[in-house]
Amino acid sequence: MVTFKLNGKTVQGDEGQYILQVAEKYGVDIPTLCHHKALEPAGMCRLCTVELFDGRRTRFVTACNYPIWEGMEVSTDSEMVHDGRKLIVEMLLSRCPEVPLIQNLAQGYGISEPRFKKEEDTCILCGLCTRVCERMGANAISLTGRGVEMKVDTPFGLNTEACLACGACASVCPTGHITLERVNQKHARIAAGLIPSEYDVGLNGRKAVYVPYAQAVPNTPVIDRDVCMHFKTGGCEICAEFCGVDAIDYTMEDEIVELDVGSIILAPGFEPFDPSAFDSYNYINHANVITSMEMERILSASGPFEGHLIRPSDHKEPKKIAWFQCVGSRDVNRCDNSYCSSVCCMYAIKEAVITKEHAGDDVDCAIFFMDMRTHGKDFERFYDKAREKEGVRFIRSRVHTIDSIPGSDDLSLKYVLDDGQMVTETFDMVVLSVGLQTPPEVVELAKKLDIELTAGNFCKTPTFDPVVTSRPGIFVCGAFQGPKDIPQAVVDSSAAAAAAGEILVSARHSNTKEKEVIPETNVINERPRIGVFVCRCGTNIAGVVNVPAVAEYAKSLPYVTYTTDNLYSCSQDTQEVMTAIIKKEKLNRVVVAACTPKTHEPLFQETLVNAGLNKYLFEMCNIRNQDSWVHKTTPDLATEKAKDLVRMAVSKVGLMEPLKETAFEVNQNALIIGGGVAGLTVAKSLGRQGYQTHIVEKGDRLGGQAEKLYRTADGETVKPKLRQLIDEITKNDNITIHLDTELTDVDGFVGNFKSTLSRNGSGNDDETVIEHGVAVIATGGKPYTPSEYHYGEDSRIMTSLMLDQKIMEGDSDLKNLDTAVFIQCVGSRQPDRPYCSRVCCTHSIDSALTLKEMNPDMNIYILYRDIRTYGEREYLYKEARDKGVIFIRYSLDAKPIVEVEDGQLDIELTDPILDRPVKISAGLLCLATAVIPNQDEKLARMFKVSVNDDGFFVERHAKLGPSEFATDGVYLCGLAHYPKPVDESVVQGRAVASRAVTLLAKDKIYTSGQVAETDPAICSACNVCVSVCPYGAPSLTPEDARFFPGTAEINPVLCKGCGLCVASCRSGAIHLKGFDNDQIFAQIFSLDQAVGL
Amino acid sequence: MSEWKPKIVAFLCNWCSYGAADLAGVSRMEYPPYIRVIRIPCAGRMDPKFALAALREGADGVWVSG
Repeated sequence: MVTFKLNGKTVQGDEGQYILQVAEKYGVDIPTLCHHKALEPAGMCRLCTVELFDGRRTRFVTACNYPIWEGMEVSTDSEMVHDGRKLIVEMLLSRCPEVPLIQNLAQGYGISEPRFKKEEDTCILCGLCTRVCERMGANAISLTGRGVEMKVDTPFGLNTEACLACGACASVCPTGHITLERVNQKHARIAAGLIPSEYDVGLNGRKAVYVPYAQAVPNTPVIDRDVCMHFKTGGCEICAEFCGVDAIDYTMEDEIVELDVGSIILAPGFEPFDPSAFDSYNYINHANVITSMEMERILSASGPFEGHLIRPSDHKEPKKIAWFQCVGSRDVNRCDNSYCSSVCCMYAIKEAVITKEHAGDDVDCAIFFMDMRTHGKDFERFYDKAREKEGVRFIRSRVHTIDSIPGSDDLSLKYVLDDGQMVTETFDMVVLSVGLQTPPEVVELAKKLDIELTAGNFCKTPTFDPVVTSRPGIFVCGAFQGPKDIPQAVVDSSAAAAAAGEILVSARHSNTKEKEVIPETNVINERPRIGVFVCRCGTNIAGVVNVPAVAEYAKSLPYVTYTTDNLYSCSQDTQEVMTAIIKKEKLNRVVVAACTPKTHEPLFQETLVNAGLNKYLFEMCNIRNQDSWVHKTTPDLATEKAKDLVRMAVSKVGLMEPLKETAFEVNQNALIIGGGVAGLTVAKSLGRQGYQTHIVEKGDRLGGQAEKLYRTADGETVKPKLRQLIDEITKNDNITIHLDTELTDVDGFVGNFKSTLSRNGSGNDDETVIEHGVAVIATGGKPYTPSEYHYGEDSRIMTSLMLDQKIMEGDSDLKNLDTAVFIQCVGSRQPDRPYCSRVCCTHSIDSALTLKEMNPDMNIYILYRDIRTYGEREYLYKEARDKGVIFIRYSLDAKPIVEVEDGQLDIELTDPILDRPVKISAGLLCLATAVIPNQDEKLARMFKVSVNDDGFFVERHAKLGPSEFATDGVYLCGLAHYPKPVDESVVQGRAVASRAVTLLAKDKIYTSGQVAETDPAICSACNVCVSVCPYGAPSLTPEDARFFPGTAEINPVLCKGCGLCVASCRSGAIHLKGFDNDQIFAQIFSLDQAVGL
Repeated sequence: MSEWKPKIVAFLCNWCSYGAADLAGVSRMEYPPYIRVIRIPCAGRMDPKFALAALREGADGVWVSG
């Protein structure tokens, strides 16, 4: 340690350090232009000049490269220093009068005009570029020439192959003299440019060492070996020098790891279609024609423009944006992706709505589409809202020409409306809604694995086994199975896990490693010994907050016996160190001041457990997300805030008590309500995995609506497959079937349900009680019975399922039909039922094709609003058009009119293209009726689950929890969730099995320790807690109970720890463990010393 | 006179607003450093006494969000 005086204060530094480094540590600001912490100092700019007194005399030295020595006295801001610096700045200004950095610096010293002759240079000859170039190992540039001729240049001023165009010189240049353009023009022979960020789809650059994106898992930086200078020259190594934990090893090689597995699940995903090949869209040539992925990034707060909506060419805020649907989808002419990508309509609407949220209502958003496909749950409502409330324009037209407008960055679009009118409209920006496709390397992988693909290069799977590939043991999920959105991909992934679980059932638990349990230290009645660990999080926290000062401050707080600061508290090695410290210092309470408890609390609680402490003797305080990251311009106040937060946490943690997590056994049986395809699939999967499963079916037979279906979109006949499924169910000893049975009562909670089943129609009150750990609601749906279109008045008018019935019966009248008409959206997509029934378009088209097979000359008309043959169902639509099925569009306000008179069945509507009324005399009218749920309010109440406005059950999370309820241990699948075709019901059934097994596979589950508890001695039995609790956790003890009869008690298993009852309890009889009144008050009372409070 | 800088005590629900405050950090937004957050398990946990106590401790405003 070297001790010396800095501006009169005694300071310390390490031997060999320079004045500037020590000054930085003590927060003393010394201006410099030529210093970079990764490079050897050179003392080039002279701006860091300070005054040095060596005991005898005073002289000037440059702080950046003058080593410290014992006893010296440095002053950084004396008048002499100030005057000296002012002269230097004045000379720099005369050399580079146009450089903003120098201008600002000069302004700070009160110089407006230099006294010396002005030059036109922008380089201050600081040499940062040449030093960094040397460090990069390239040595392409140096300071050439002498005296006034000196400049930064390559040998002989020629572009050289020594320059590897890494751009390091441009990145360190303080004045902006060296830019990537300059490198391209004067230095390099190869092109220099930003390394395009994959995450920002090239809209932004990234570094050679980078974390792909903020939420990446694992969140560890990687080195891009293709661009990293070290791997080209052996130089640089700056990252290794600055990595505090020595994590960088340049010698690491790719490894081949061999795994012994029983099953493989493929989830390789998709790639967005690349529109570069389409010259008509001008994507390559025009900066303001972007893809939807680029739009996603532009709209994102973490995107290249931080969520500010600007267009790429000139960063102007666009006022008119057009979206083009079906780019790279439903196109056989250009890209050969003839399938529908399923997700683009919805994401385009979402982007348009977010655009309006970001940039205000005056932004004109126009979506050009062919058919609007919003067939997902609640999607139609979103479409309606975007159209009617948000003012998004929907134009049914394919734009045929995009022209650049000379002299402007705008785009001129030409398109034709329904009535043939040609429109030319100018837009600021065009977004191409690109489709999904399987990347070539995945096609290659499929070949290697020898699995079959479909015509669209998706994995081929059977309707009744949608996650099963053509090769046994290999399963698939996500967009490789077919283009799909997030909820569908989540359902798939659970189902694939169940499929793998079914075949690996004998191996279950065979590779499980038991965790060593550390005995818990009893800390009750001990005086608190609090340890405070303050995290630097690299520079994330320490770059703003003065971490050592916070740790030092924590020492002064009551009961704190140990404090320290960590570089990365969450790293494996720090965890081990912390465990050792807790044991050694006999800490019984721990505070970690770091990032957010939402992500890291469990990790640190684990550390406590490993040190033998109860995990609830812990408090985290958030000095990163809610401090250093949001107050970076006020470091002093951020440090004060960190101290306050630490003080508050310390006061709270002192009052924390060890809490117990109640364990309870999980009953291994499952109860499934509904014996349709979805419910049967759950039973099949659970039965195969060895769990006792009960199916409760209201009707007298299994099969549900699938019984009435002829065939699926893949052309598989439903009946034999359904028989096969029912057969397997019936034969499996693990599965008990209760026909003609209803659920009349449910008691209990996750892991311990008790349900009463009652057989109807048997005459006697045949009641059975079943105990089960999980419950599945698969109550299905049914076709809407139309009251429109003269349904029921004429035998020629029938629903889709009735037509299926006729086809299955082989009704000979069908093939003699002259004309058949299908009307779509009967009861769907209208104000009283504002959802799309998802299955009807495909169903009608498939039925039309069946009729065409019987009689190719039959005239078939499908009257529709939007054809929604999503995914590879689109092939059927194309086939139907090829075979002469005629599609006529109608709108909600001009529905077809059906007339039955004198034995004639006539359908009238206006053809929007011809703009003329059309009258069709039909021999058959098939109504594609809505799918409606079997609404069951009583069931919803019994399981405390909710039902939406349309009568479908509401899942835990629309995207991430599509097959489970918010109530633990209760799951949903099939039509009870939303209308869906057979394959999607099957896959959701299997997904439910997977979700249920995650619970059933445990013998015991634990409640949280942070639950409410009543004090019966104070309870006034007012019943408020019972009535406010959304989870039904509190109840009153029976009047005849031995102790405290009629008072409230709380079931810790049901309690979610929200504290609503605590706040509502007028007697103050309820305590919320971990967030009790005294603990929260302790935090509030510690506020008094907070900044100015 | 220097500008008045109100001191706010925020009671944020763990599941939504506290997460949102984290997200503000992840998005590197900036706001004045005169706010102190107390995490509560749910806005339903909020007790009027907490708000009064915070005001008595000198807070200029109490923000409950959930």
